Amino acid sequence: MSPRRTSAGGRIDRTRSIRFTFDGVSYSGHAGDTLASALLANGVSLFGRSFKYHRPRGVLAAGIDEPNALVTIVKGEEREPNIPATMLEIYDGLATVSQNRFPSLAFDVGAINALGGRALAAGFYYKTFMGPVIGPLKGTRFWMFCEHFIRRAAGLGRAGTAFDTSRYERMNAFCDVLVVGAGPAGLSAAKAAAQTGARVMLADLDAVMGGSANWSSETIDGTPAASWAAETVASLAACDNVRLLPRTTVWGYYDDNTLGALERVTDHKAAIRKGEPRHRHWAIRAGKVILATGAFERPLVFPDNDRPGVLLASAAQRYVNEFGVLPGEKIAVFTNCDSAYGAAEALHAAGARIMAIVDVRTSASEDARRIAASVGGEHLLGHAVVETEGGKTVTGIKVQPFDPVAKRLSGHARHLDADCLIVSGGWSPVVHLASQAGAIPKWDETLQAFLPAEPSQPWVGAGAFNGHYDTATAIAEGAAAGGATTDEDSLPAIGNAAPASPPAAVFEIRASGKSFVDYQHDVTAEDVRLAHREGFISVEHLKRYTTLGMATDQGKTSNVPGLAIMADATGRTIPETGTTRFRPPFTPVSIGSLAAERFGEIRPERLTPMHDWHVAQGATMFAAGLWYRPQIYGKPGENIEQAYVREARATRTDAGIVDVSTLGKIAVQGPDAAELLDRVYTNLFSTLPVNKARYGLMLREEGIAFDDGTTWRLGENDFLMTTTTANAGKVMQHLEYYLDVVWPELKVQVTSVSDQWAGAAIGGPKARQILAACVTGTAVDDDALPFMGIVHGEIAGAPVMICRLSFSGEMAFEVYCGAGHGLHVWEALIEAGKPFGLVPYGLEALGTLRIEKGHVTGAEIDGRTTARDLHLSWMLSKKKPYIGSQMIEREGLVSPNRIQLVGVVSLDNRPLNGGSHIVERLDVQNPHDSIGHVSSVCYAPALGKYIGLALVKGGKARHGTRAFVSDPLRNRFGPIEIVSHHFFDPEGKRMHG
Amino acid sequence: MVEMLSPLAPVWRPGPHGDLSAGIGVVMSETQPGSIVQLAAWPGETAGMLAAIDGHTGLSLPDIPGGGVSTETKAAFGFAPGKFLVVDEAEGLAESLSEAIPASLGTVTDLSHGRTALRLAGPKAEWVLAKFFAVDFSLPVFPVGKAVSTGHHDIFALIQRTAPDAFDLYIYRSYARAFWTALGHACEEVGYEVR
Amino acid sequence: MLITCPYCGPRDVSEYSYQGDANRRRPDPASTDQAAWNAYVYDRVNTAGDHKEYWQHSAGCRVHLAVTRNTLTHKISSVAIARDVVVAERKEAAQ
Repeated sequence: MSPRRTSAGGRIDRTRSIRFTFDGVSYSGHAGDTLASALLANGVSLFGRSFKYHRPRGVLAAGIDEPNALVTIVKGEEREPNIPATMLEIYDGLATVSQNRFPSLAFDVGAINALGGRALAAGFYYKTFMGPVIGPLKGTRFWMFCEHFIRRAAGLGRAGTAFDTSRYERMNAFCDVLVVGAGPAGLSAAKAAAQTGARVMLADLDAVMGGSANWSSETIDGTPAASWAAETVASLAACDNVRLLPRTTVWGYYDDNTLGALERVTDHKAAIRKGEPRHRHWAIRAGKVILATGAFERPLVFPDNDRPGVLLASAAQRYVNEFGVLPGEKIAVFTNCDSAYGAAEALHAAGARIMAIVDVRTSASEDARRIAASVGGEHLLGHAVVETEGGKTVTGIKVQPFDPVAKRLSGHARHLDADCLIVSGGWSPVVHLASQAGAIPKWDETLQAFLPAEPSQPWVGAGAFNGHYDTATAIAEGAAAGGATTDEDSLPAIGNAAPASPPAAVFEIRASGKSFVDYQHDVTAEDVRLAHREGFISVEHLKRYTTLGMATDQGKTSNVPGLAIMADATGRTIPETGTTRFRPPFTPVSIGSLAAERFGEIRPERLTPMHDWHVAQGATMFAAGLWYRPQIYGKPGENIEQAYVREARATRTDAGIVDVSTLGKIAVQGPDAAELLDRVYTNLFSTLPVNKARYGLMLREEGIAFDDGTTWRLGENDFLMTTTTANAGKVMQHLEYYLDVVWPELKVQVTSVSDQWAGAAIGGPKARQILAACVTGTAVDDDALPFMGIVHGEIAGAPVMICRLSFSGEMAFEVYCGAGHGLHVWEALIEAGKPFGLVPYGLEALGTLRIEKGHVTGAEIDGRTTARDLHLSWMLSKKKPYIGSQMIEREGLVSPNRIQLVGVVSLDNRPLNGGSHIVERLDVQNPHDSIGHVSSVCYAPALGKYIGLALVKGGKARHGTRAFVSDPLRNRFGPIEIVSHHFFDPEGKRMHG
Repeated sequence: MVEMLSPLAPVWRPGPHGDLSAGIGVVMSETQPGSIVQLAAWPGETAGMLAAIDGHTGLSLPDIPGGGVSTETKAAFGFAPGKFLVVDEAEGLAESLSEAIPASLGTVTDLSHGRTALRLAGPKAEWVLAKFFAVDFSLPVFPVGKAVSTGHHDIFALIQRTAPDAFDLYIYRSYARAFWTALGHACEEVGYEVR
Repeated sequence: MLITCPYCGPRDVSEYSYQGDANRRRPDPASTDQAAWNAYVYDRVNTAGDHKEYWQHSAGCRVHLAVTRNTLTHKISSVAIARDVVVAERKEAAQ
């Protein structure tokens, strides 16, 4: 017989049918079904193939702990693998496929692995594939040969390669009380906390809050537990101070009561509303956390315990009570504790036959005996199941007398009929979050379980999380945790209370056959013992050697049984053997939810005020950090080199204009502003007159060059510092650090004004004429605006500041105006420049012009070079100390063998590559003995050659000598001449006019 | 005077957007004040600076972290120890404050062009802001007038609550378009109107 | 990890920039004691336990904070505005 839907009962909506597919077959389920319950209702018991051995697997659990029934959701080209069918709510049009099978689930070629079981035992990979290469097919090389086949045969679902079109979001949340888990304990806690007026968040990973109340057979205050839960949820939903988060898994517990949670917002919907994210990542900061995360039931370990039709007793109870699905008609029960009797009772009530209750204990509680009598079937105390029979589903079991103390079988095995075996090996409180938060779980001998230890952060536990499995205690503890003043009388009365007694200390029935501990990773009890025999006895080694507890379920059903078997093998107790410290995440988390709104556009774009003009003029935009800058303004048919050569040449012939708004700009204000600048720059600024600018160099404390730029004195106590685009933030932080913690006595205020000012640099023989044509309110001739002078005026009605300074080596000016006027002023300059042949130029031409002049930038001020290396020692003042001044004379920084800035000229008339090594002797086969590297390159129209700047050992002494570039990665080798970095107009006649 | 151009022009799409099934959750706008000015008091001069702000603008700020007030045409708030942002619909505030505030009290820095002022108003304003900033925006903790300095990845923001359901955000101009776009994206699920 | 900025309140560590060991003292700018400069630039105490360090609230008020953080547990036992701490220390040293 196969599983089926009951004619009545369950909390599904039988009036609503939903169509979905599994492996291409169309099925129908009801609203409220998971994929697992709907497939079971359709008689499907085979859900997938196991990881290594390709054994047929069914569904073991009913919730997040499911290790077997993982499916892949298919949406067009997109695939999402490894989704537990037990957590997947069905919707119209849902398409799923099973995993790890070829060519089909029912007939799987890989099942042959099951026959050669020994070969794939624990440590298989290590033993077979690691170690020295001896012969053609051994060790690592053998792995490389086999990897493709093994990856195909062993594994979970296959990830899709299509672009994920879903949207993900992040939400920051704050609350006084976060309740994790909405079972009876959690609901009770949330209710009590809400009544205190606290801001409460209640998160539960299921779609319908209620936890065990949704499937227990109990009544609470006379109403069915599920109704009590629904009423409590409704009353919480009506509170303004409560946020309910169903379908939300709290997966990480971090320092300072910060928790991460994943809300599955639309995974259960056939149609998504506009703007709705698929997942929402909640970053929750809670005053107090109430952990009401419940407990997972453990399976027992015995031969063929993985056959479809074997499932956890609580899962069976949940399927029948919550989903109206009977997992079988003839049910056998195998247990070491009382809770399975409750499941048997529920299944019996729904119409199943209980064939036998096999209990390892030699005596049972009164509750257990009563239930066993009422459900009928054999009650076999002191017995164990030693085998399941059948093919792709259970057809029977074999039972045998068992001594739970000696853990030994006796007598003979006999057959019992059954089409379903429900199993309980006791319960493990879900202590994962507490463990993440730093509390090491403690073993409780009575409950045979790890319990949460003393809180290391502000959390309190309630209910089954504490090992208190009865509903009355759960509700009472929840209320107390939530802040209620406990009044025994006000707590609800539990009717038909589920039997709860501690389990016997039995985890495994040793008999011949494969007994699975970790279903998901196909780790057997024998694998654990093998690990022990080979010396991997610490739990961490056990995990790595056998892969027990790895993969997507992280051993939710297998950790404790695995530990118990290892403890047994080593003759130690379970607490002596240890436990794994749980790490986030509790369940798999979509990467998209972590990227959230940064999905697609990874980083924000920073745009200058003239950005749209550049784009409209056909500029190719280039990302410089977060900024976008024109690389070239290409004309039709031009390549990059042709474009920048044209732009650079026009600038030297007539005039060019470039957007320099991206430069870092810092307002340095206050009576000690000049003093600060004297301390941070290597040269003097206190002597700079108002309305003059000076080029400055900053070092780091250890004497290495840090940044350069011009600083303008706008008033006695008012400077405008400019930095390189890349270092704007670092320089700002540098100044703030010294003002806060080194020189608090200085009265200086620094403010980032990078975005306040738009800047345009206009240079070339006709630049001054262009300014003269458009600037009003000031003269721009040599008297009014000498080199490094500053004037204030207007362009087209907008106030501007103009400084005559040059990066290009031409007569040049930087025009600054308010950013909101930037486009206006820029367009006015372009218009005024038309009669003079003004061209806009981009980063490539900017680089070309400065390389021709030998000016350094970030490629040379690279965090390794000193002022001397860059021939800037003329900027090192001897009159005052400054940051780095006491360190620059150190031996290693003044060595003549240091790399120094030089110019290099390509002698084979081919472009040079930035980053190429420079060598004295060319050896293409075996490049060696680098004497430096090329830092910046261009074609120099002023020289008609391919040139570059380079940093070369003892550089200056090599002027006039020949060397080679050696760039094996890009296969560029060739002769160069080392020359002075002042390629063009070394006297600076053009700039001074 | 030449008009200050908005950095949002190419992405400015007035009207309703997103999921409007539950109405308009948020109204997004750019307030385009004429003046945005930073005042920084020297250590020990905060009280004097507050008095100067009051004297010059009529805005009386509480001397508490993030303390601020806003009116129809003006706003001011503290955003760091001794530091204040003063905003005025009219241009020219930097010049007049420079005259009013002696160098002995602190500095005046004009940021009128450097910051873009955005307004987020409506029942879902808190919800949308919480997507970007790890700050508790709930009214009891973040009352009307209060301001915070915070950031969203690379984007720095000063945020002042100007009404129970309205916030003004001051963003570096160069980031404004990227942030505005992201804001619109985040508002889609609650329905929004650009006004 | 949260750091409670005296001005802005508790904020996530991602709003802050680590600005180094707060135990070091910069030599007098004119000092030519190379050993002292080397120690200032390169030597760090690397405490296992309570450690004084600077954090800048870089995505907030931008103030540098003097933080005492336990390097083993991340527990922060004190936070103050660094400038105030430095000024007070100097005042004390001068007396």
